Order: sequence, then C-alpha cells, then structure tokens
Amino acid sequence: MPQAGGGKRERWRPPRGRHRLPPEVIARSQRERLLEAAVRVVAAKGYGATTVTDLTREAGISRTTFYELFEDKEACFLAAYDGAVDALVRRVAAAYETEEGWPRRARAGLAALLEALAAEPEVARLALVDVGAAGPAAQRRYRAALQRLTPFFDEGRDFAPGGRNLPANTSRMAIGAVAGLISDELAEERAEDLPSLLSEVLFATLVPYIGPEAAAREAGEASR
Amino acid sequence: MPPTASHGNRPPDSPRDLPEVIEQERLPAGLEKLPEPLVEHSQRERLLNSMARSCAKKGYGATTIADVCEGAGVSRATFYDLFKDKEDCFHAAMELSLADAMGRIVAVYSPDKPWATMVRDAAAAFLELLASRPTFARMALVEAASSGDRAFELYASGKRVLQSLLERGRDDPVEEVAIPSSAGRAAISAAESLIVGQILAGNSARLPELLPDIVYIATVPYLGQEEALRCSREAEKTIPRVDG
Repeated sequence: MPQAGGGKRERWRPPRGRHRLPPEVIARSQRERLLEAAVRVVAAKGYGATTVTDLTREAGISRTTFYELFEDKEACFLAAYDGAVDALVRRVAAAYETEEGWPRRARAGLAALLEALAAEPEVARLALVDVGAAGPAAQRRYRAALQRLTPFFDEGRDFAPGGRNLPANTSRMAIGAVAGLISDELAEERAEDLPSLLSEVLFATLVPYIGPEAAAREAGEASR
Repeated sequence: MPPTASHGNRPPDSPRDLPEVIEQERLPAGLEKLPEPLVEHSQRERLLNSMARSCAKKGYGATTIADVCEGAGVSRATFYDLFKDKEDCFHAAMELSLADAMGRIVAVYSPDKPWATMVRDAAAAFLELLASRPTFARMALVEAASSGDRAFELYASGKRVLQSLLERGRDDPVEEVAIPSSAGRAAISAAESLIVGQILAGNSARLPELLPDIVYIATVPYLGQEEALRCSREAEKTIPRVDG
C-alpha cells in the first residue's frame, strides 16, 4: 500500500506478452495498480467526475479486466478507500505503541497520522474529504474508518481519574473533533501544513479526558 | 500557548452578538420554517420535501429531477418554473433547513442568559428540530458535502454561527489556561460527527438523547471537567422522555 514520499516510484509489473506467472499473481498486481490509480484519479477529478475509463487508463488495464475485478466504480473506490485506511491505522498504531502513558501515546499516534496525511495529500483528501461525496455506502465506510480509532481514544478513559463518569460518546466525539480539524485544513488545500496542527489536535483529543489545564500543558509541550 | 494557524473559516477573536453573526453570514434567520411533512401547502414545499426524501433514500448524486417531481406529484414543467436545476432545488431546501435551524437557535438566545445554559438550550433546540424532520436532517448534514460548493458554503456558514455561540465561553474560561483558538471549532465538529453517525445509523428520532454528551464536549474546554460534567447531568434532566 502507499508509502510516504511515494507518487512517482516505479512499481513492479508482470512482463507483457506471454508469461508463466500464475493468474492470481497477475490479478493481484492489476488490482493493486487499479486501487492506486483510483486514489490518484479521484483525488484529481473528484469522485463524481471519475469514470471507469479514467481508472483503466491510469492503471493501464483493460475494461474487461476492470469488470473481472470490480462490479463498478463504487466498488473499486471502496476497496481503494479501505486499503488507504488500513495503511493509515497501521502507522498510527505503530507510533502509538512506541510510547508509555496515554497522553504521550496519543501524541505519537496523532503525529504519525498528521505526517502520513501530509506526505500523501491525495490519500488524505480521499480518506477525509472525497469520501463525503461518494454516496451513502462510502459515508458508512468513513464512519467505520473513524470507529477504528476508538481503541486509542478509549484508553483515555482508563487513564483519566474520573474516566468512568465521562459521557458514553466521549471517544466518538473526540475522534470527530480531530477529523474535523484535519478536514478543515485539507479543505483549504493545506495538507502539507498538517504536522503543525499537532498541538491543536492533541488538545482536542485530550481535553474531554483530562480537562483543559492538563490538555493545554501537553499541547504546549507538543508545540516545542 | 499552542501555535494557531490562521484560518479563513474562523470567526474573529472577539465574540459578536449572535443575530449579528447570522446576518453577516447572510443566513435568513427564522423567516421560514420547514414544512410539516403532512401539511404541504405549496408545490414548492412538496418539491423541497421530495428532494429531502430522495436524498435520504439514495443520496444527492443519484437523485434525479424525475425522482423529485414524482415524489412531489408535481410536473417537470412546474419544477423548472420554480428551480433552475437539481442543484438549485437542493440549495433552496438547504436554505430552508438553515433558516429554520437559525430561527430556533435565535429563539433561545439571549445575551443575558448564562453561557452554559444557552449552549444547552441551543443544542437542545437543534437536536429536537433534527429529530422532528429526519429527512431534512439527513439532507442538510449528510448530503451537503456532496452537492456542490454553494450548498456546502451554506452549511459552513451555519457551522460558523454555532461556533461563534460557543466562543463566547472564551470570555470566562478556566483561569490562565491557554485554550487553542480552534477549541470551539473542534467541539462543533465533535458534535457534528456524533449527530451524523446517529443519522446514518437510522437513529434520528433519538437525537435529543445526545444532549448530555454534546453539552459536555461543548463546555469542557472552557469550564473544565467538573463543571462540564455538572452541566451535562443537568442537561440530562431536561430531555423529553420518548415512550417506547
């Protein structure tokens, strides 16, 4: 899946013409190319304006192959979406696990998230902005993607002294705050500035769990 | 103090009076009300209701003018007498939804009320409106993003009004705490995300039950945890009981 600083890198492609690679290997590589193409094209044109022809051309595959892999444009977009989210969540989890103590862990996870999104603005737009325009199924995927961050936030409840008294939807709301701040930045075409948002995003994450004073202290440290 | 990026979509630091903000955002406050689903007076209202229903069912992108006309029992010719195109009709439905929402918030607004009480009353009025008009709620909160720049700008204006309401909490924050200037915007996004999640899950009728959560997230940056939890518990007592 996508990696930081990617974009122009060459991907391995099966040799053209006759070859002996098993068909499932070829299909997988075509599928991957198609998913990467979907991210690029939707980011460039918007979901509504993207056609299956755009996708097959960008991926260098035939229309027949496209329909062997996916039922339609939406199915392809949703698969690309899931792939992008998987990669993001893995990076957040890896960074989160490197630290001790929830506020530090949250800070490391958020920093990794912001850096990953800044490195790949097209993935960022796909994951947070374009998804809203891609219909009800895509919107449900977006909600599901946000839900995958819940365990990282729920740890705040265990960490906070009065965590059990917090409202039931605290984690959902904190995730919504983070997603909102990031989306606002993306909507203003400032993906590359996302890492500078760390202290604000960290404050929004921490404040419902540990209160404004402690959250501001942690956020202040993050800006140093 | 955490650094703050300059934001085009952020209201000025000094809080303004709410009706003034609404006017500056060019939102028609309370002049119109959403049609009662069962009493649609005009063809226009029928078309706007039908647009909202179709968006709720299949999304804005998949909605056609034929769907809207058929759902309203109105001819295509009449549609084009009233609206330029699909987007124009959607925009009118959005405008109506926002006018009603702003009207209800202005109705509970008073500069003399304690800030936390006003936040609670405004949130309660908003949640009750959404619960009573589920198709419009879905259209305004879920479909606005996919329906063109004009409707989205309208939606953003509505959010800025709510944000300026919250930012009055800055007048009296917890002592000497450096709250980022995005705290109000973040809290609005937090509430929005929770509300949209409930709408997408088909739980619009139960939106008023989210009041204690929303009061907590909206007040905690400014009042601190203890006081925000107290406000949240108070809010819980005011929720109208739904039978069944």
